[in-house]
Amino acid sequence: MIKISDVSFGYSGTENQVFRRANLQIGSGEFVLVCGPTGSGKSTFLKIFNGLAPHFTAGTLSGTIQIDGQDITGRQPHELAGLVGYVNQQPEGSFVADTVEDEIAYSLEQLGFAPSEMRKRVEHFANLLGVDRILKQNLMSLSGGQQQRVAIASALAAGQKVLVLDEPTSALDPAAADEIVDLLMNLAHQQGITVLLAEHRLERVISKADAVIVVNGDSSVNKFLPRDAFKEYRLVPPIVELSQKLGWQPAALDPQEAGNRSISPSQWAAKTEPSLGETLLSAEGIVVNYGETKAVQGISLQAQAGEVVVVMGENGSGKSSLIWALQGIGDMKSGQISTAWGDPRSMSDQRRLEVIALVPQKAADLLFLNTLADELAESDRVAGVAETTTATIFAKFAGRVDPKIHPRDMSAGQQLALVLALQLVKDASIVLLDEPTRGLDYAAKHRLAEVIAELQSEGKTLILASHDIEFVALVANRIVVLQDGQIVTQGSPADILSHEGKLPTQVAAALRTPGLISVSQVLS
Amino acid sequence: MRLLIAKRADAVHPGSWWLLGLALAVAAGLTSSIWIALSICVFAVAVARLLRTDAPWARSLGFYLTLATGIVVLRLGFRVLFNSGLATENIAFRLKDIELNLGFGPGVHLLGSVSWLTLQSAMLDGLRLAAIVLSVALANTLANPRKLLRATPGALYEVATAISVAINLAPQLIESLNRVRRARKLRGRSKKIGALAGTIIPVLEDTLDRSLSLAASMDARGFGRRGSLSSYQQTATRVLSLTSLAVFAIGIYLLFSDPALAMLAASVLALGVAEVLIVVKISSLKHVRTRYSSQTINALDLALWLASAAVIVFSVSGFGGVQ
Repeated sequence: MIKISDVSFGYSGTENQVFRRANLQIGSGEFVLVCGPTGSGKSTFLKIFNGLAPHFTAGTLSGTIQIDGQDITGRQPHELAGLVGYVNQQPEGSFVADTVEDEIAYSLEQLGFAPSEMRKRVEHFANLLGVDRILKQNLMSLSGGQQQRVAIASALAAGQKVLVLDEPTSALDPAAADEIVDLLMNLAHQQGITVLLAEHRLERVISKADAVIVVNGDSSVNKFLPRDAFKEYRLVPPIVELSQKLGWQPAALDPQEAGNRSISPSQWAAKTEPSLGETLLSAEGIVVNYGETKAVQGISLQAQAGEVVVVMGENGSGKSSLIWALQGIGDMKSGQISTAWGDPRSMSDQRRLEVIALVPQKAADLLFLNTLADELAESDRVAGVAETTTATIFAKFAGRVDPKIHPRDMSAGQQLALVLALQLVKDASIVLLDEPTRGLDYAAKHRLAEVIAELQSEGKTLILASHDIEFVALVANRIVVLQDGQIVTQGSPADILSHEGKLPTQVAAALRTPGLISVSQVLS
Repeated sequence: MRLLIAKRADAVHPGSWWLLGLALAVAAGLTSSIWIALSICVFAVAVARLLRTDAPWARSLGFYLTLATGIVVLRLGFRVLFNSGLATENIAFRLKDIELNLGFGPGVHLLGSVSWLTLQSAMLDGLRLAAIVLSVALANTLANPRKLLRATPGALYEVATAISVAINLAPQLIESLNRVRRARKLRGRSKKIGALAGTIIPVLEDTLDRSLSLAASMDARGFGRRGSLSSYQQTATRVLSLTSLAVFAIGIYLLFSDPALAMLAASVLALGVAEVLIVVKISSLKHVRTRYSSQTINALDLALWLASAAVIVFSVSGFGGVQ
């Protein structure tokens, strides 16, 4: 179906090529996972199949790309619309129409299908993607998972043979994400559509994919069988890491496969309990409303020094609203918050910096200056601390980074480290992180886990909102699960993330050993 | 119940609501009766309130009402302030007469005695403008702008899409503005990062990112495909566009030069309109798109058209003598 020969791509103005002389073939109906470290050029690689690269990204492309026997090199995206469907990270950002059916019909209208044929196709693809009951609904009233289904339906409605998706599950909670991945696998295997899917959380896809394309960031692009992909590359999902640690040959790819093997008690250790100090933050009956929507409905929460509390729950369950309310800036209708230093809501913005740090979901919202050095210096000035204080904290989190770099050109992990450094310049003892692992690859997540452990050992209290189960297993001491703005369960990670809980980690699901939830507990 | 009625109203062609709104605006402009102007105001607000949906564009009625009230108040206020102060009979109330001497010409009188007649004419002026504003509010509240855009001819498609994208981006812009303003407080007091730069840069980045990703998505789904026009068709559209412009100029000149030539002026203008329609039709051939759902015309539309026509005929014929 797809054949690329000697394809190279480089951005103008830089010496390095994103990939050089790539050669590979993808068969009809193949479900292919595209992976690679953050910033390696995965997105660019996906965009060459429908002309978005180089037509939308700039840069130069050489070599030939063939799809379905046609040479498509150099063709414009709209010329390829009937051949390749494209879905990006945030469906709500790519919607053109206002109702589900109009959105699905959009590319059909552009491609000039007859109205009767259009109605048939809209119905068929809405059915296939399970959105046939909500055809007349407004797109903005749908959940993230439904929106992504509509985006996929509209990318396929014109009979496209190739479907390219750039991290379509990154904004979804685990259950919705798994549904989308299953759906894509079925589209490939039952409808014969060739699916190329980029994804950070490999554990979601690796056992279902037929092949893995690794865009490695060193300008190599190679295709492997899922089992072989991790022999050479260090991006490893937990279950593969487990296999490697225990020396399993061949490596297991999914929990069921790993479940057939066993682990002896001498091969793993229980998580060490942190030594907890006094209660630093205590919240009673927090209620947050946005107009008619009740985001948080009476939540009470305590956190002690040296503790990491993780707030989990589906999108829209109130995680983010709770985090912002605890900080004192966010809206709050009623409730009490007290810290060891008083109520954060009555503090000035300046004073709060000494008590509570918060890193928002989109860390870049806090960055406005033109170089990293400027941001660090401004932070010292605002906080009234000695020069290079912020820079020292940043270096501890992120290592050495060119101070002349524009903050918006830094990787997601570096931006996170910078904002964390800005927030910790006054050594605040309470640290709030809102979905910190968004857009981070395994390496960056491990680095973040180390930073969190370090802050914890300094006796700080950390409260995180996250639905990244594997990451939560690495860092959490206590988990609070929200649903519709209320706490439904809370407990230790060993309980909540166990194979009997609702949110099992891969290791827990595979080994079914009480108390064992993370690869980090396994002794090699 | 109200939502059910609103749903019915939403099914009406958006053009019909605009037709009714414009007909009411014409009537408001032509009337010289306070009562007619006032009833148009009341009618427009009542209909809009009763039939509006929960859509974002339907939430602007309050703004229009404030604007209309402001116009009436301002109009009355100015007339009282810049009253010549010389009225002698039918006095409504007396205020202190202030005479300003500008050093040249006669002095300017402010305030002074205000007659009923002055108040009445100020009220009429104010209400007429208010009625026009509220007629537009009626159309704006009830007509779904997306449906209106969908009903545009192919030649105007690019413009219609641009407006449609703007409608989609506006709520997102407000959302990111709120988010960034909240995040900015996290940095404490910074002199360098002023309120402006600190908010505008992240919001602008967000908006640009979104616009680019939307543009990429639209292109990837086939937006921008076009067929080609034969050179004969291209020449025809150019010649017709130019001549229609000239014909319009002549028609407008005739219209204002001599009332006796009104008939001739009307037919010349009609010729211009016909030419424009042909140009739009030919240019639309260039596009290879089709429409998924076309707006159908139902009985309610016909009723609205009749009502609009009746309003216009009634007002042009002098409101049946009600003055």
